[in-house]
Amino acid sequence: MPSPDRRADETPAAIELRAVTRVYRDRPALGPVDLAIPAGEFLTVVGPSGCGKSTLLSLVAGFAPPTAGTVLADGAPVTGPGPSRGVVFQQPRLFPWLSVSGNIGFGLRRLPKAIRKERVAELLAMTGLENAARLKPYELSGGMRQRAAIARALAPRPKVLLMDEPFGALDAFTRERMQGEIRDLWRSTGVTVLFITHDVTEATTLGTRVIALAGPPGRITLDAPVSEDLREKVEAAIRDAASARAGAAS
Amino acid sequence: MNLALRLGAVLFLLAVWQVVAWLKIWPPVFVPEPVAVWDQLLRTSTEGYSGYTLAGHLLASLRRIVLGCLYGIGGGIVLGLLIGVVPVLRTLLNPLVTFVRTLPPLAYLSLLVIWFGIGEEPKVWLLLLAALPPVAVATADAVRGVHDDYLNAARSLGARPWEIPYRVVLPSALPEIVTGVRVAVGVAYTTVVAAETVNGVPGIGGMVRDAQRYNQTDVVVLGIIVIGLSGLLIDYLLQTLDRRLVPWRGRHI
Repeated sequence: MPSPDRRADETPAAIELRAVTRVYRDRPALGPVDLAIPAGEFLTVVGPSGCGKSTLLSLVAGFAPPTAGTVLADGAPVTGPGPSRGVVFQQPRLFPWLSVSGNIGFGLRRLPKAIRKERVAELLAMTGLENAARLKPYELSGGMRQRAAIARALAPRPKVLLMDEPFGALDAFTRERMQGEIRDLWRSTGVTVLFITHDVTEATTLGTRVIALAGPPGRITLDAPVSEDLREKVEAAIRDAASARAGAAS
Repeated sequence: MNLALRLGAVLFLLAVWQVVAWLKIWPPVFVPEPVAVWDQLLRTSTEGYSGYTLAGHLLASLRRIVLGCLYGIGGGIVLGLLIGVVPVLRTLLNPLVTFVRTLPPLAYLSLLVIWFGIGEEPKVWLLLLAALPPVAVATADAVRGVHDDYLNAARSLGARPWEIPYRVVLPSALPEIVTGVRVAVGVAYTTVVAAETVNGVPGIGGMVRDAQRYNQTDVVVLGIIVIGLSGLLIDYLLQTLDRRLVPWRGRHI
C-alpha cells in the first residue's frame, strides 16, 4: 500500500531511506535516517569522520543491509550491490591487472564487443583519458586514476553515482580540477549523485543540496538546498583567495 | 664492470681450488682438480654416466620438478582459495597444511616409497607434497587480505558471485601467490636431490649418489656445480615470470 502522503502518479525517488538504522556489533552507527534523493540531484553529505557517512553510502550501495528500515532505489528495495548504483571509493581501487580500458569495460562484459568498445571510448573521451586507454593503473597519476575509477563506475550507465570522499586523497590542485570535472559529468550525464565528504567547502560548492550528519549514530542535523547564488559566492571567494595566493607567491 | 667483478670472483675461486688441489694437502678423492671435473663434464656429456648422459640426468630431474610443481602449485592454489574463502574448510584444513609444511619432505619419503614403489610416482608425489603447502598458505593469506573495496567494486559493476573468485580474488592475490610459487619451486628443487637417493637414476641426484658410492669425487663435484647452476637459472626464470605476471608489485595503486 502506498503511503497516504504520496500521490500515485509521483515518480519514486532515485534513492529513498525509510527509518533506516545500522548497528555494528551492538554499536549503533547510523540512524534512524529518513532521506529521499530525487532523480538528478547532486546531494553532498558532510560530517566529521566516524559520523556514519560511509555507513550511509554502503547501505545505499547494498554492501551492507540496514539493521532496521528500508533502502529503496527507484522504488525497489536494495538487496545488494548492482550496476544501477555505481560506486567511487576514496582510493581508486582500479584492478591493477587490467588496463584503463579493461577497468572501464569491467562492468560491460556482457555487452557485445563492438558496443562495449564504443562505450569505453565514449567514457575515455568523457573523462579525458583517451591517451591513457592502454596504460595500467600504476602508470597513472592520482587524478587520472580517480578519473578512470569514475569512468568505470559510470560505464554501466548507473542511475546513481555514489562517491565516498573520492577526492580526499588528491592534492589540492588536482582536487579543485576534479571537482569541476565531476560537476560537468553530472550535468552532461544527468546521473543522480550522492557525494560524501568531510570538507565543508566541497559540500557547499559541489552539491545542489547538502545534508550534515552528526554521530555516531549518524543522524541528519541539516538538510538544505544550495542556491546557485551561494555556490557562486563561495566559488568566487575561493578563486580570489587562490589568485591572491598566486599573486603573493610570484 | 659488474659482470667483470662477478667473473673475477668465479675465476678467483677456481684459482684457489686449483692451488689447494696442487698442494695435495688432501688426496684427490677429497679435493679433485678442476681439470678432472672438467674432464668429467666432457665425458658424462658424451659417453654418459650410469647409462645416461649429463643432460639425460638433468632432464630427468627437471621433468620431476616440473611435474611435481605443476601438480603442487595447481593443488595449492585451489586449496588456498578454498581455505581462504570457506571458513569451515579453513578450520578443517589449516592445521593439516601447516603440519605438512613443517615436515621435512624426506620424513615422508619412506611412506611414499611404501605406497608408490620406487619408480617415478613417489618422487613426483614427494615434490608435489613439498610444493603444495607454501603455495596453499600464500594463497589463503592473500585471498583473505583482498581489500573489501575491490570485491564491492566488482559487485557494483554487475559481477556475479561465482565470477568474483577468478575475476577479482585470484588476480588480486597474484603477487603473494607468485611469491609462494617461487618458494615452492625452491623447496621442490632442494627436495628432488633427496628424492633421487632412492633409485634415482636417471637423475642428477642419482648420479651424485652413484658417484659417491664409487668415490668418484670429480663426478660428485660436477653434479653439485650443475645443480647449483640450474638452480640459479630456474630462479632467474621465476624472477622474469614474476615481473611479467605482477608488474604492479610494490607500486602504489
